[in-house]
Amino acid sequence: MRFAFTDDQRAFADGLHDLLVHEYPPARLREAWAAGRGHEPDLWRRLADMGVLSMMVPGPAGGMGGTLVDSVLLFQQLGRAGVPGPVVEHLVAAPRLAGTPWAGGVVDGSVVVTAALDVDPFVAHADVAEVIVTPSGARHGYAVSAVAGLDEGRHLAEVTGGTLEPLPGTDELADTLAVATAAFLVGLGETMIDLAGEYARQREQFGKPIGAFQAVKHLLADALLKVEFAKAPTYRAAWSLSTAQPTAGRDASMAKALAGEAAYRASRAAMQVHGAIGYTWEADLQLFMKKAWALQRAYGDARWHRRRVSAAVLATPR
Amino acid sequence: MDLTYTAEQDAFRAEARAWLEANVPAEPLPSFDTAEGFARHRQWEAKLSAARWSAVSWPEGYGGRGVDYIGWLIFEEEYFRAGAPGRVNQNGIFLLGPTIMEVGTPEQKARFLPTMASSEIVWAQAWSEPNAGSDMAAIRSTARLDGDAWVLNGQKIWASRAVWSDWCFGMFRSDPDSQRHRGLTFFLLPLDLPGVTVRPIAQLDGDTGFAEIFFDDVRIPLGSNLGEVGKGWNVAMATAGFERGVSLRSPARFSTAADRLIELWRTHADSTDDALRDAVTDAWMLAEGYRLHTYQTVTGMIEGRPIGSEASLNKIFWSEMDVRIHEIALDILGPHAERMDGPLERWVDGFLFSLAGPIYAGTNEIQRNIIADRVLQLPKGV
Repeated sequence: MRFAFTDDQRAFADGLHDLLVHEYPPARLREAWAAGRGHEPDLWRRLADMGVLSMMVPGPAGGMGGTLVDSVLLFQQLGRAGVPGPVVEHLVAAPRLAGTPWAGGVVDGSVVVTAALDVDPFVAHADVAEVIVTPSGARHGYAVSAVAGLDEGRHLAEVTGGTLEPLPGTDELADTLAVATAAFLVGLGETMIDLAGEYARQREQFGKPIGAFQAVKHLLADALLKVEFAKAPTYRAAWSLSTAQPTAGRDASMAKALAGEAAYRASRAAMQVHGAIGYTWEADLQLFMKKAWALQRAYGDARWHRRRVSAAVLATPR
Repeated sequence: MDLTYTAEQDAFRAEARAWLEANVPAEPLPSFDTAEGFARHRQWEAKLSAARWSAVSWPEGYGGRGVDYIGWLIFEEEYFRAGAPGRVNQNGIFLLGPTIMEVGTPEQKARFLPTMASSEIVWAQAWSEPNAGSDMAAIRSTARLDGDAWVLNGQKIWASRAVWSDWCFGMFRSDPDSQRHRGLTFFLLPLDLPGVTVRPIAQLDGDTGFAEIFFDDVRIPLGSNLGEVGKGWNVAMATAGFERGVSLRSPARFSTAADRLIELWRTHADSTDDALRDAVTDAWMLAEGYRLHTYQTVTGMIEGRPIGSEASLNKIFWSEMDVRIHEIALDILGPHAERMDGPLERWVDGFLFSLAGPIYAGTNEIQRNIIADRVLQLPKGV
């Protein structure tokens, strides 16, 4: 029993964190929004070079050969930076394209792949993706009809037509996507709390920083509580999937339900702490809040995932 | 990351399970907040200790088994699974014991730890005062040097199990000119000394689980202090860290409660009530989340990443979870939740007890302040 990451896993995630802090501050994300870019080709290449995009692609196929446990901290860091584009979807879908014409391209990043589940009415990032991995297989050659989305770093579309190639390894697509998204949501939650903390330290009212008031302290402490207690279930779910535990589906759903709710609580607390500024287009907070609000309901919302946990936990006497 | 148990851990679990199955009393003991219950619980502790199960994470020399925190969690899982009695000496074994191991003199370790493990001496925590609750640094009880003795005066309150306990531990102001956190000393003393008066206080559940303790010129020998004279605050914070962190409320307690809640839901709830089904699922996820979080924390402690102010997050989490689990149970019982003498009374009792959690060991409001100040680095408040 050892519930911790290895030094290597931590170091890789720290390296990604450093890259994103320097290369992708909120100002860059804001620029992408302003330019109508839902995907960042420059950053994408950096992530490909670093091995992030091919983290879960097996070594013989040119990838990093990592498991979901190796990757879960990366999803969290990508979430911390609010990285737009199909990063979560690509990382999860890429290993499932082994033996297809896209296998090489998804490793070096020249092919962008996204993922979609039946529960979701739209496909995210279909506008930039060459192929969509779904539980039924790989879909390509489709037509895309854009749908305006809440998070401008996540372009939505209705997809029609195209060809579906069956894939052998899509069984755990939904669960893996749920865990990866949960980790991304945890990262978003951390950043929203950080932004609120920064604001509460500098904004003064009644002659002192508002962070000195207990009403503000307690709001953020409660938000942090939810985010911190979503982490271990997310990491456990990553382990359950990596090691094919019989509880993997239940654990993935628990993670997604808790992380989605935690990120939502963090968004509400952070916005309240920002006051009127939090309701503006200018505040960086919105870049992260809107992604959290989109992702908390994508790939199964908390209600859907909770019912799945119910079915596992309440159905049969243990 | 490997969330499976080693063969050694499995063997330890099997040994604990076998012993508990053979030895846990078939009938629940009376509450340890009653005279008879206290005596019965002390006997149980003696039995546990004789088989070296009372303090498994302690070194063998003090009556433990020297297992790491993972071993301790495994033992706790088995203990709650077996429905074994509550731990009447928990303030000693789980709070004071680790503190003595950290800061005690060799003489104190030799004298107090074995008798603690066996519950020959049961310890009460003399912590709060009438005007020092959340604001613990406002302590007024005094300790004055007089020749070869310290002389204690003042009053402590909400001292759990002080009515029947043998010894107590608490802080006194040893420097009369000191303010706040400075000039406090942490003392260990018997409760049967001349000048000590223990007055029981009936709790919300009617039992006298806690008490006031009055000190009138109580003389205790020099060397009764734990840690340095004047450094009592630091000693107390170490104890409080254990209490808020992992030791006082092990995850097994809540995993077991969540399992019982599921059983109650199966036998008593309308299974078509989706809101209730979701609530029970949430309770299970809370308990499971706490279990996972604790395994993560404990792995960190074993690997030299000690728990800091994040311990305050644990305290809020488990205390609110405990209330929530019991609220849901009472929702399932509906109008029957009013009944106190039926087979399900345990849930009502548990609900009353759970309500103390957000208050003791530092109110949850104080914990939120600690998180805001030390983890989130917000400016100090008033």
